[in-house]
Amino acid sequence: MDRDVILTMRGIEIQFPGVKALDGVDFTLRRGEVHALLGENGAGKSTLIKCLTGVNKMDAGKIELEGKEIRPTDPKNAMDMGISTVFQEINLCDNLSVAENIFIGRQPMKRGQIDWKEINRRSNELLERFHVHIDVTRPLSQFSTAIQQMVSIARAVDVDAKVLILDEPTSSLDSDEVKKLFDVMRDLKAQGIGIIFITHFLDQVFEMSDRMTVLRNGKLVGIYNANEITKLELVSSMIGKDLDQIFDLKRAAQKEDAAMMLEANHIGVPGKVEDISFGQKKGELLGFAGLLGSGRTETAEMIFGVTKMANGDLKIAGIPVKIGEPMDAINHKIAFCPEDRKRDGIIGDLTIRENIALALQARRGMMKPMSRKEQDELADKYIKLLAIATPDAEKKIKELSGGNQQKVILARWMATDPDLLILDEPTRGIDVGAKAEIQRLMLQMCEEGMSIIFISSELDEIIRCSNRIIVMRDGKKAGELNGENCTQADIMRIIAGEKVGETA
Amino acid sequence: MAKKKSNKLINFVTNPKYIMVLATIGIFLAIYLFGAILYGDKGFTKLRTFAMLFVDNAYIGISAVGMTMVLITGGIDLSVAAVASLTGMFIAYGTTVLNIHPVICMVFSILVGILLGLGMGALVTYLKIPPFVATLTGMFLARGVCSLISRDSISIDNELIDKMAGWKMYFMTLKNGEWVKIKPVAYINLNVVMFIVMILIGTYILQKTRFGRNVYAIGGNEQSARLMGLPVDKTKMMVYAFNGFCSALAGIAYSLYVKSGWNLALQGGELDVISAAVIGGVLLSGGVGYMVGTFFGVLLKAVIPCLITFNGTLSSWWGKIITGLLVLLFVALQQIVMHGNLFKKKKKTAPATKKE
Repeated sequence: MDRDVILTMRGIEIQFPGVKALDGVDFTLRRGEVHALLGENGAGKSTLIKCLTGVNKMDAGKIELEGKEIRPTDPKNAMDMGISTVFQEINLCDNLSVAENIFIGRQPMKRGQIDWKEINRRSNELLERFHVHIDVTRPLSQFSTAIQQMVSIARAVDVDAKVLILDEPTSSLDSDEVKKLFDVMRDLKAQGIGIIFITHFLDQVFEMSDRMTVLRNGKLVGIYNANEITKLELVSSMIGKDLDQIFDLKRAAQKEDAAMMLEANHIGVPGKVEDISFGQKKGELLGFAGLLGSGRTETAEMIFGVTKMANGDLKIAGIPVKIGEPMDAINHKIAFCPEDRKRDGIIGDLTIRENIALALQARRGMMKPMSRKEQDELADKYIKLLAIATPDAEKKIKELSGGNQQKVILARWMATDPDLLILDEPTRGIDVGAKAEIQRLMLQMCEEGMSIIFISSELDEIIRCSNRIIVMRDGKKAGELNGENCTQADIMRIIAGEKVGETA
Repeated sequence: MAKKKSNKLINFVTNPKYIMVLATIGIFLAIYLFGAILYGDKGFTKLRTFAMLFVDNAYIGISAVGMTMVLITGGIDLSVAAVASLTGMFIAYGTTVLNIHPVICMVFSILVGILLGLGMGALVTYLKIPPFVATLTGMFLARGVCSLISRDSISIDNELIDKMAGWKMYFMTLKNGEWVKIKPVAYINLNVVMFIVMILIGTYILQKTRFGRNVYAIGGNEQSARLMGLPVDKTKMMVYAFNGFCSALAGIAYSLYVKSGWNLALQGGELDVISAAVIGGVLLSGGVGYMVGTFFGVLLKAVIPCLITFNGTLSSWWGKIITGLLVLLFVALQQIVMHGNLFKKKKKTAPATKKE
């Protein structure tokens, strides 16, 4: 096309067993451009990146870097050619110093020895450019995720990168840190580096990128200039469905006359959460809003018996209960999907079927194993019901995309047919389509009489789904709002500490 | 200028990288001081006592150099004592029964040590067998071959070995214009020289070569090390090979020390070596450790039985008990330093990702 193009990928095809992961995808990157790569989970973004970094071999297609055809064989090889990647999970060694993390594997040598002075000096220089002022001789583990992210970017660009791939770099950063990262990206852009930016935060896409390439089901949907497309158009091109269908969710009807499901009276654990009281009716969706660290998860963990409550008491269906450990909670038909699905939820090496059957089997006890047929039926039922994208139930869960993993965990707890389901950030890190799907499921379960406690950092989804919203601040209940007629501003005001008319 | 220097010092002391090593050195000095106060009059502070700590434990120290590297990669090697014992058998049987030149026996032993190391390294690296299991098989193999050679102890009868074992470097003092041996006589032998040289070589490798830094990176996060393009497999193979070399060298030192070979020699010695490294601040989960720490770990482990001997009334089993407590202390310290909130590691990195 023109001289500004630094990277061209043309007609890329990759065949995985049973699926065409990429089907004739084109992609171009210009010098000094931030190019967002968008699509739902499983659309082929990561596969395209893996193809570019030599992790996956392509079956057809051509990659040109600065006009020369290349065939990267592995990430190191790609890096040597000037294609550097910063992965979502920080791939550094946190036992080594910051400086060493930047230079390991390519340390400057002096008389056959590693030149530590030079390493520290150059690291300092490099990080100064990113406006990061830290002691580079300290171990990486002592610094925040944001700094670690900067360090991995520093490492990536110092190898004389022409193309920088940022794969979900902002998913674990707070807004200040994101701002810092964006400054760095603008700097790099000005230096003429082409940046491929993958994220599921649409605001960030519009803030940072010049162009966008959208993939869906392994196919190229379109390439757009950032100033020529609206957010809604972008979303609908990503999901390929009508927008109304996604965002038009009907909140579960208010259950004025329903029986009480859960009553919490002044429950708390000193130092974590204090004096929380609320009641939840049967079939009600109760939202918990608040900042990270405000005590939302702690409250949920108390109800489920993960942390023992020190004060207060709980009533389930009007009867006082003692919940000292999760087993008690499970016996009272409470289920809990924890926040960090990778750590606390999925068991990666087990199949979808096994992951779904897990909780139900645990409740039935060891002595009554579920037959294979029962398990198969269970798995098939939920795969269909939740539209989990998988060829069959025997796939290992770790091979699924984040949204589908989340659905499997949801299935696991739905299978136990709980009366109360606690969902802690069930939609974090998954794409718009899967998000809407999970929200729809929650509402449907409420209609069927299940009570749900829904914890989320995203105010709009809390407002969209909840009958009532409890707002937490600094380990205390700061307010309670009616979901029908509240706005994001109402919640934010409570979080910020302003008094609002409380509706109990 | 002065202020800058003190800042540097504070930085150094509070850097969690160094805390374990500083703890080892501190505890060693404290125990030594304790002994000096209690048994100073009995000769605990004499140079002879100190030198004997080295002479009696050099073979453990030599093996600990290799073990330190293996532990830093996040592995473990249970075969070291068996390989050392096998070396002793080769030397004793070779020189005394077969009349082979001792140097040939030694070179052969070292080659076997390296080969065994490579074999176990391959099991760990390519077949992904946990190091504990892979080296356990190595241990049984080496012990088995020992017993195959002979089930009785063979004492070594060889001129060169006698010479090597008998070589001593005495500490001298200037008296009336003449150099004389200090009293009580204090000396170091070939084993001590090998120990100190190996510690220096180990330090150089770990701190000044890319290979050494890769060892740390692998122990820190093997997956990341791979993604950063480091030669993970090659490095692991070399680490196990180096440890095989150290085991064989320790075996040579041990046979110079006892001048015999026995199939059951050094039973449980691998645990002495591992505990010396752990007391020296090497992290069992990998990624952290220094040769100088291991050096003091060996000394610290050696000075305890020495103290008990000086006491005279305590059972020697107290040595084991105290060593056990020290290992416990260091493992606990590792947990606190690495996983606790001591350095706000969790607090700083976590909010954005996990835990409310």
